[in-house]
Amino acid sequence: MVRSGGVTIVKRGGRRSSEDFNPDKLEKSVTAACLSSGASRGQSELYAKRVVKEVEEWLDDRPEVTSSDIRRIAGKHLQRYHHDAAYLYQQHRVTL
Amino acid sequence: MDSISSIAVVAFAALIHASFQLSVSVLTLLGGHSIGSLMSRKKTVRLISGYVMGAGVMTLLTLSFVAFLLLHIFGTDVPLVVWSVACGIAFGVGIAVWLFYYRKGFGTPLWIPRSFARHLTARSKQTSQSVEAFSLGLTSVAAELIFILPTTVLAALILIELPGVWQLIGVLVYSIISLSGLLIVWAFIGSGKSLSRVQKWRETNKRFIQFSAGSALLVLGFFIYVTKVIAEVSGT
Repeated sequence: MVRSGGVTIVKRGGRRSSEDFNPDKLEKSVTAACLSSGASRGQSELYAKRVVKEVEEWLDDRPEVTSSDIRRIAGKHLQRYHHDAAYLYQQHRVTL
Repeated sequence: MDSISSIAVVAFAALIHASFQLSVSVLTLLGGHSIGSLMSRKKTVRLISGYVMGAGVMTLLTLSFVAFLLLHIFGTDVPLVVWSVACGIAFGVGIAVWLFYYRKGFGTPLWIPRSFARHLTARSKQTSQSVEAFSLGLTSVAAELIFILPTTVLAALILIELPGVWQLIGVLVYSIISLSGLLIVWAFIGSGKSLSRVQKWRETNKRFIQFSAGSALLVLGFFIYVTKVIAEVSGT
């Protein structure tokens, strides 16, 4: 069963309040990483949808995960579709 | 030192300035966000150009301000102790850059307060107008002041001893060369190349950049100490 809500995302270091998993937000950030890596808009949206679906499946039996977990798992799946995009996606928080 | 040699030293100081990576990191993030949010190529280029202009203006203003301040306090005959202190700062920051510039681990995180890094990352994400990008460019140079202080002070000390026209040339040379890192990334983004290539290059070579920036600061400080302080004390 794939759920799009009901999973609590604990923010980095617990500094900010937790929030529900938002598949649209994940799709947007994966699409952005693909576009920044030179993928076309169509490809980017397709990869993002696939990654979101796979992350939702992974979340299926997990009531609470951290935002870093989401980033790690999404990056791992994205690697299969677009290596450069996965690299940029994982680098986002460690660029500065 | 004659005027040409002085400008060459100022250019070397500017190259060291260009090797510091905070502004480049922010530009990479800004470029990534604007491409990722489906902004047109034209708007993306306008945005990153605004950022580079902001960084250039801030560099020019900082160098001019430090030169003006030194000129106001000491005149054109700066005491040797001031030169010695400036060289000492270059040594200190050079060693600090060797030891601390990048944090350990994955990516290219710099040794700056994390709250500040998060703020700059968030600002680069929210920037959608050229004027915001311009002010982000100003801010990023201000955030880098701790690293660029020695090159700025030494360049200012050299410049205030030159005739007026050479001072202007020197300020422009410093400002333009210090932007070279940003201009390379600007050209990359502007020509539609993948940002991952830029970031991969930066990550792969981060230790080399760190070592060369720190070493170059030590060389600059040592060179100026020998040619200015020791040469004057020994009367050569």
